[in-house]
Amino acid sequence: MPEIKVTPLGAGQDVGRSCILVSIGGKNIMLDCGMHMGFNDDRRFPDFSYITQNGRLTEFLDCVIISHFHLDHCGALPYMSEMVGYDGPIYMTHPTKAICPILLEDFRKITVDKKGETNFFTSQMIKDCMKKVVPLNLHQTVQVDEELEIKAYYAGHVLGAAMVQIKVGSESVVYTGDYNMTPDRHLGAAWIDKCRPDLLISESTYATTIRDSKRCRERDFLKKVHETVERGGKVLIPVFALGRAQELCILLETFWERMNLKAPIYFSTGMTEKANHYYKLFITWTNQKIRKTFVQRNMFEFKHIKPFDRSYADNPGPMVVFATPGMLHAGQSLQIFKKWAGNEKNMVIMPGYCVQGTIGHKILNGQRKLELEGRSTLEVKLQVEYMSFSAHADAKGIMQLIRMAEPRNMLLVHGEAVKMEFLKGKIEQEFSNIVLTINLKHTFLTYYLEKGTLPDPKKPRTMHGTLIMKENSLRLVSPEQAMKELGLSEHHLRFTCRVQLQDPHSDADTLHRIYMHLKSVLKGYTTQHLPDSMSVMVESIVVKVSSSTEDPNTKVLLLSWSYQDEDLGSFLSTLLKKGLPSVLC
Amino acid sequence: GGAKGNGPTLASAAGSLLETWPTSASSLSSDGYKDLYVYQLDHPTRVLEWTSGKTICVAGFGPDRNEILELHLPPKLFADENKGLCAERDFKVVHGGFSDGPVHRLRHIQGTRCVVTNNGRSSSLQVWDVGDDESDVFRRTSSIEGAAPLAGQAAGERGSQVAAGPSPQPCVLHGALLGHVQLSQLASGDTCYTLETDSSEPLSALQFVSPWVFLACCRNGNLFAVDTRSPSLPPPTPVPPPPEASTDPVHWGMHATAGADVAGCRVARLSSGAEVVVSDLRNPGGPARRALLEVPADGSAGDHLRVSWAPALEDCLAVSGFDGGVQVFSVSTWGPEAREQRALFQHRGHSVLPSERSAPVRTTAHAWHPDRPRTLLSAATDGSVHVWDWVHPGAAQD
Repeated sequence: MPEIKVTPLGAGQDVGRSCILVSIGGKNIMLDCGMHMGFNDDRRFPDFSYITQNGRLTEFLDCVIISHFHLDHCGALPYMSEMVGYDGPIYMTHPTKAICPILLEDFRKITVDKKGETNFFTSQMIKDCMKKVVPLNLHQTVQVDEELEIKAYYAGHVLGAAMVQIKVGSESVVYTGDYNMTPDRHLGAAWIDKCRPDLLISESTYATTIRDSKRCRERDFLKKVHETVERGGKVLIPVFALGRAQELCILLETFWERMNLKAPIYFSTGMTEKANHYYKLFITWTNQKIRKTFVQRNMFEFKHIKPFDRSYADNPGPMVVFATPGMLHAGQSLQIFKKWAGNEKNMVIMPGYCVQGTIGHKILNGQRKLELEGRSTLEVKLQVEYMSFSAHADAKGIMQLIRMAEPRNMLLVHGEAVKMEFLKGKIEQEFSNIVLTINLKHTFLTYYLEKGTLPDPKKPRTMHGTLIMKENSLRLVSPEQAMKELGLSEHHLRFTCRVQLQDPHSDADTLHRIYMHLKSVLKGYTTQHLPDSMSVMVESIVVKVSSSTEDPNTKVLLLSWSYQDEDLGSFLSTLLKKGLPSVLC
Repeated sequence: GGAKGNGPTLASAAGSLLETWPTSASSLSSDGYKDLYVYQLDHPTRVLEWTSGKTICVAGFGPDRNEILELHLPPKLFADENKGLCAERDFKVVHGGFSDGPVHRLRHIQGTRCVVTNNGRSSSLQVWDVGDDESDVFRRTSSIEGAAPLAGQAAGERGSQVAAGPSPQPCVLHGALLGHVQLSQLASGDTCYTLETDSSEPLSALQFVSPWVFLACCRNGNLFAVDTRSPSLPPPTPVPPPPEASTDPVHWGMHATAGADVAGCRVARLSSGAEVVVSDLRNPGGPARRALLEVPADGSAGDHLRVSWAPALEDCLAVSGFDGGVQVFSVSTWGPEAREQRALFQHRGHSVLPSERSAPVRTTAHAWHPDRPRTLLSAATDGSVHVWDWVHPGAAQD
C-alpha cells in the first residue's frame, strides 16, 4: 500500500510557524521553514532534531520548498541551511527569491542589532543560503531528480506566493502555504487545476472564520485617514517596502481622486523605486487589471503620492506618509514617529503584525510612554490604529480549493481538532470521497488511497443542447449537430492510468479474471470481454493487459476512459489497484 | 433620502452608489455609520437569534440539508475604548450543525445552551444542544411534537411560531394556529399549558411579556394577551380598519417591548401593506399610534416581514422585508391617525452592494443588539449578513 507521511515540525504552540516534512515514495521534502515570531529563544526555530540528532540535513532531505516570503514561512531558512546544515536545492518562485533576503536581513538587523541576540544567522549566511535557491516558474514541472517532480501554482496572498504540487510516480501531494481565493487590488486569486492529489495540505488558521468584506476594512482605513487629515493631523503608515503598501497606495490614490482631496501623500525614499522595480519585474504575478493598465500607465506611478523628503515631516498641516520599516523599529518610520507622537491630532496606522521588542509591538499593546535610547522617554499622544489587511482563505475559500483540486485526502494543519469538527463534517459531507484529518502539532499521520463509491448507472443525466440563433430564428439541436453546422470538430478528452498487479497467470487468464471481477462489481453496467485486443471494456473505459518485461508475474494494466466517464473510470482505477480477489465465481 | 423604489430610478441610484456606498456624502465621517461590517454566508438565513451578548445563530432554509451556525461577533465591535488596538473584524464560527430540512424559526431558550427550530412546514420542533468548549458541533437532542394540522390548513401556514418560555423552567411556547398554542417543557416535551380555544386562525407571532402573560398575534391582526393562569381566551384587540379601502389582503406581524412590567408593555403590529399600529397593553383597545410607512409595499414581501422594538432606545422600531433594506422609525411623533411617516434611518447595504444573484435582494431578518443602543444585524436573500451601528441623523459622528 502506498504511504505518504506528514510531520509538522516544531516545538512550542501551534500557529506562528510553518515547517512540514513530507515523505512520499521514498523521498523527503521540507515544506516551508518558518520562524515563530512570538518566541525569543530556540523555540522560534523548528525542531530539526526530529530529522537527525546531529549532523547535517543534506542526506535526509531531497529538497526544500518555500511558499512565500513571510517570515513565518521562511524566517528559519538561513538557520536551517547554514547553522544546522543543508546543501541540497531550495525551491521558491522568482519573486520570493528576490524578496526573501531583504526581509531576512531586515529581521536579522532587529534581532541582532536592536535586541543584541547572539545565536542567530549572519548577513553572510543569508547570502550563502540564497545561493542554494533554484527559482520556479508557475505551472512548470521541475524534475528534482529522476523520480521527484514539483510544480508551482499561483496562490494570491502576497507577491510570488505559490501552492506546490509534489509528485513521485503516481502519488502526489499539494501544499498550499497561505493562499487567498478572492482577488484584491493588485493580486489575483489562487488557482489550481483538477490535479487530484492523493493529499492536500492546507493551513487552517482562518478556517473557522467568516471574513469581513474588503470594502468595510477599506472604509475603516479611509475613514480614519480622512478624519485625521480633516482635523489637520498627520497620518503615519509604517510599511515594508513590499506587500500591503502597494494595496493601500492604490486605495488612497483612488479615494483622493474621487473625493478631490488636497492633503499631500508621501512615500519614503527608496520605497518607491524598490517597489516599482519588483512589481515591474514580476508584473505577471500581479492581477489582470494591473497588467492591462500597465501598458498605458504604470499603476505604481501615482498622481497624488510623491516621494518623501526628511524635511517635510516638520511641515505644518495635514499629510499622510508611508514610511519604512514596518514595525517602527528603526529608520525613517521611527524618526517620523518620534516627531509626531506628541500630538493627539496625529495618527499612526499599523497595517500588520509587529515582532515583540519593537516599538510597533509596544504601542499596539497600549503602551503610552516609551523608553528610547539615551534614557529619553517619549509620550505617545497620537491615535494608534491597528488594521489587518492580510489576505487569507477562510472556510469558504478552503471549500473552493477542494472543489478545484479534488484531493482524495485532506490535512488541515495548525488547527485544533476539537474546534474543527464542524468544518470536518462540512467537508466530508460535500465531498463524500474525501478523508479529512485535522492535525495536532506532533502527530504522525499516514494516509492511504481512499476507496470511493461506485457511480450509479441509472443516474439521470441532464439534457445537453445547443441553441442556434440565426436571422431571428431559434433552433434547439444536439451539440453534435451544432458542431457539424458550424464546421467545428469535437475534441475528446481521454484519461489514462497504469496499474500494476501481481498475478501469476497468463495474460489471457488475467484478462479473464479482470472481466469476471468487473462483471460482478459493476452491476447495471455492460462489461465486454475482448480477448482479441487483450482488453475489457465497459462504457468508454478500456482496460488492456500486458506483462511487465522484467517479470511475467507482474501485469501492467493500461486503463483509459473518456471525460464523460470520469467517475466510473476513477472508481475502476482505485478498484483495480487493490488487486484481484483470489476466488472468482 | 429614501428612494421610494420605482424600478428604473432605484436601479440607476443603486448603480451610481455601487462604487461609493456607504459614502455618498462629501465626507466619510458623515456616511451614517459608526461601525459597519459586511459578511457573506454560503447560504442565506432568515433567522438571527442571540444566544448571548456576543454570539448569534443563523441557519439556512434551503429544501434539504442546511447548516446552523453560532457566530461570535467581531471583537472589534466590542472593543470600545480600545477599538483602535483591535484589528479583529471577522465572525468566528464557534459552533455549527446540520439540519435535515429548512430552518424557518430558531429560538434560543434563556438560561440554557439550547435552541429550538421549526422547518416552516410542520408543527414539530427540533431541540438542539449548541455545544460547549469540548466540541464545536450542534447536537440534536429531541423533538417536541405540536398539534396535527387541520384539513384545509394551507401549506404555508403549517409552520409553528416559536417563543421562548418564561424562566426558570426551560420551556417553549409554540403553535401554527391559535387553537394549537401550547407550552412544552424542553427536557421532557411534556405539555404544561394549552390555550383553550377552537379557533383555527393562523398565527404570525407569539411572545411572552411576563412570567404569566404571552401575546399571540394572528395573521389577520387580532392580538390576544393571554394569562396562563386562566385557561380561557380573552377577547382580541383587532387592528383598526385600514385608512383607505384596500382590496389587497394584508397579513400582520407583531413585536412587543420586553420588560417585567406588563403594564408598561407596548405592542407594534406591522402589516404587509406597510401600516403600523402601536398599542399599549394597559389600554389595548384605546387610542393607538398609527403610521403608514414610506417603504415599497407592493405586496411581495411575503414571509420575510419583520418588526422589532429597539431594546435600548426610546420609541424606536426597525422594520425589514419590504425591500433590500432595514428602516428605523421613531414612533414618538406618531398620532392616532395613520399618516405617512419617513424612516429616521435606512440601511440600504444589502441592495446596493454587488451581489452574485440577479434577482432583487430582499432582507430576511434583522436583530437589535440587546444593549448597544444603535447596533443592528441584518440578513438578506443573497446570503449577506451586515452588522452596523448607525448614527442618528444630525448628531455628530465619532
